[in-house]
Amino acid sequence: MVNERLNLEKEIETVREDCLKPTRKWGRSTKIWIGCLLIVIAWGLYCYIHQLRAGLGVTAMRNYVSWGLYISTFVFFIGISHSGTLVSAILRITKQEWRRPITRSAELLTFVSLLFGGIMPIIDLGRPDRIANLVIFGRVQSPLMWDIISICTYFVGSSVFLFLPMIPDMALCRDRLTVCDTRFRKFKKWLYTKMAIGWKGTKSQWHRLEKSMTVMTIIIIPVAVSVHTVVSYIFAMTLRPGWNSTVFGPYFVAGALYSGSAGVILGMAAFRKLYHLEKYITPRHFDLMGRLVLALTLIYAYLNLNEYWIPAYKMATAEGHLLRDLFSGSYSIVFWTLQFGTVLLPIIILSIPKGRKPLMLAITCIIIVLGAWVKRYIIVVPTLLHPFMPIQEVPGDWSSYFPNYVEFSVTAAALAGIFLVITLFSKMFPMMAVWEVEDGIKIEHDKQRAIDIRIQREAEEARSRALETDPGIQPIKPDIIIG
Amino acid sequence: MKIISIYEYPLIQDRPVKKKGLGSKPLATLSSFLKIKLLIVLAFAVMFFSRTPAMAQEKKESSIEMAYFKKADLTKWAVAIVTAKNTDGKFIPAKNARVSFYIQDSNELQLLKNVYTDNKGKALVQLRKEMPLDTGRAFVVVAKIENDSLYEDANEKIRFKEANITIKLNPHDTSRTATAVVTETGKDGTEKPLKDIKVNFYVQRLFGSMPAAEDYSVNTDENGEAVFTYAKGIPGDTAGLLTVAARLDDNEQYGNVENKASTSWGTHLMVEKDPFPRALWEPYAPLPLILTISTLFGGVWLTYFFIFNQMRKIKNDKQVKTGIEQKQ
Repeated sequence: MVNERLNLEKEIETVREDCLKPTRKWGRSTKIWIGCLLIVIAWGLYCYIHQLRAGLGVTAMRNYVSWGLYISTFVFFIGISHSGTLVSAILRITKQEWRRPITRSAELLTFVSLLFGGIMPIIDLGRPDRIANLVIFGRVQSPLMWDIISICTYFVGSSVFLFLPMIPDMALCRDRLTVCDTRFRKFKKWLYTKMAIGWKGTKSQWHRLEKSMTVMTIIIIPVAVSVHTVVSYIFAMTLRPGWNSTVFGPYFVAGALYSGSAGVILGMAAFRKLYHLEKYITPRHFDLMGRLVLALTLIYAYLNLNEYWIPAYKMATAEGHLLRDLFSGSYSIVFWTLQFGTVLLPIIILSIPKGRKPLMLAITCIIIVLGAWVKRYIIVVPTLLHPFMPIQEVPGDWSSYFPNYVEFSVTAAALAGIFLVITLFSKMFPMMAVWEVEDGIKIEHDKQRAIDIRIQREAEEARSRALETDPGIQPIKPDIIIG
Repeated sequence: MKIISIYEYPLIQDRPVKKKGLGSKPLATLSSFLKIKLLIVLAFAVMFFSRTPAMAQEKKESSIEMAYFKKADLTKWAVAIVTAKNTDGKFIPAKNARVSFYIQDSNELQLLKNVYTDNKGKALVQLRKEMPLDTGRAFVVVAKIENDSLYEDANEKIRFKEANITIKLNPHDTSRTATAVVTETGKDGTEKPLKDIKVNFYVQRLFGSMPAAEDYSVNTDENGEAVFTYAKGIPGDTAGLLTVAARLDDNEQYGNVENKASTSWGTHLMVEKDPFPRALWEPYAPLPLILTISTLFGGVWLTYFFIFNQMRKIKNDKQVKTGIEQKQ
């Protein structure tokens, strides 16, 4: 019994050390990586300042395509932000024990992609200083207003959802990380102390934390669904071919969950490799996540079919022009590559057990994530180029769109910003919820113990039955049975 | 070449170096950092001061246009519109130009007022009720730009005679005929009718005057009378009152002269009790929508506040951890 307890404590100690190790040293490769990200961000900032000074005319956007790469990226980032809700909240509420090592990275991805996703529409404005007018003079009837409200609500919610399970870990960092870590020691100590909000691990604190976690888990799911539904309303509530669809809400939510879960897998794969977490994030996690992505891809494929098949059957005038352009026109290569390459191909790969192995799954998820991004572009841009009133008597470049270097640079900076925040976070805080993983180990341990006790009881029963039949048999010590 | 200025380096270098705490190396780094900052400040200062006098010397070529207005309340106004040549050679409104208005009295100019132009280059001055008249019974107003720091000198003069418009109306006249009588005050103070003067007829609307018909100009006869028939069904106010106006517009001799009169020729304006009912396409949202959004998001935010309160309680937890009170 004592040995068991010692083993358990040793195992927990190993978990703690493994989780805290990456926060103690900044390797050379990390510094180079951060440096590269900063260069991309600085260039993006320069381009954005150029855009601010010279106006949106420096981008490829014109009168007809006023939502280009920026808004496509906004929708994509908001979609990725569903990862935390799916992996953390849904798996938590359904009591999936295997979720424990991957929840933190999923919640972080939600927080960061929302942060930068929320910035993208502001970047798309020619006069961002007027953003407050949207609230001051905002109309409650406008889907744009709903978008602001729901994104802000989701951002606060996901920040709290990320922070709550971090509290005990922050106390752990506060109590032990600063002892041996000399880099930024004072700052880290201050930060961990503040973020631990006086955590002592008392019974009442655990009770409050678990209550809060349960409530947040329940509330964050409808909030996340509402966010992407409202994002879809921005499109669906305007009179434009391709967007005038009743299926847009669930289509966007399904697309978000599909790309978000693929994003989580990529995060898992990266942290597993970089921080040597193979012991905790096992091939089983990848297999289960792969199955989840497969299910979501099938749902997404079904909605995708509905989204295009019904209007294609009718081929109404304006929709017909758009669909012809997508099916056999200038966007046909991209469109069919997306349908076959990022929907059908992942379904085939993920249906095979070997396709759910870590490396193969990671490659598939890269395809899915990139495909999801291009898909947002295909939703936004071709529709804008096919208005109900034909494009006439305008300069030639107004009737086509491809992002230019300013848009690519600013978008790359936003993506680099996401990577930078994730990198800095992973170097400051444990990337696994230590206490949750510990809980998992304890639960496993308890299960094992219950099995042992059952075996012991069965052995005792067998022994007593044997004694009843043959009293001459020597009794066997229970310790020997347990081993 | 060494730059001599009040920010010269020795001022920094001569400072006593504190030996406590930081060594001399960090202080030297700090000193060199300050030097760089000073150089930048100096460069900006040189750029600023070298530009300012040059800018002050470049006065813009300016031009003045003038007009005279006599309003329905019998006040008289002189307006000067100042334009200045920009770098493209185009004349654009000159703002903040100081315009001096003079009136001419027996070949002498009397300063009336100095007025600065607004953003549209407009300077406005109210004239005296009794203006000094010359032998031709006309008054002269002069506008000048003199010694302005931004604009070159310019001047303009207007000379107008004084005319009056009287509107005769009969509210019970079903033919809705308005008669405008245009007169000029004679030496003896009697009103002398003016013949062949073009009078324009208008209807007063909320933000200005609207021509009363497609052909709204009538010339005066030998009695100085211009007769105009207003159309039926012109909207008036809630009492059916209509304000009609008769005007001389840009008359060469008399300038802009106006008079107005109210009459009950208008149709009664029906004011909607609720011009903007709550609807998706109106300024105010339907109440069910507001209630739905408020309830949904209010509920979520109340939950957040519950969580914040739990966090506050976690922070203020005074319980001391014991071996037993650990998470089970």
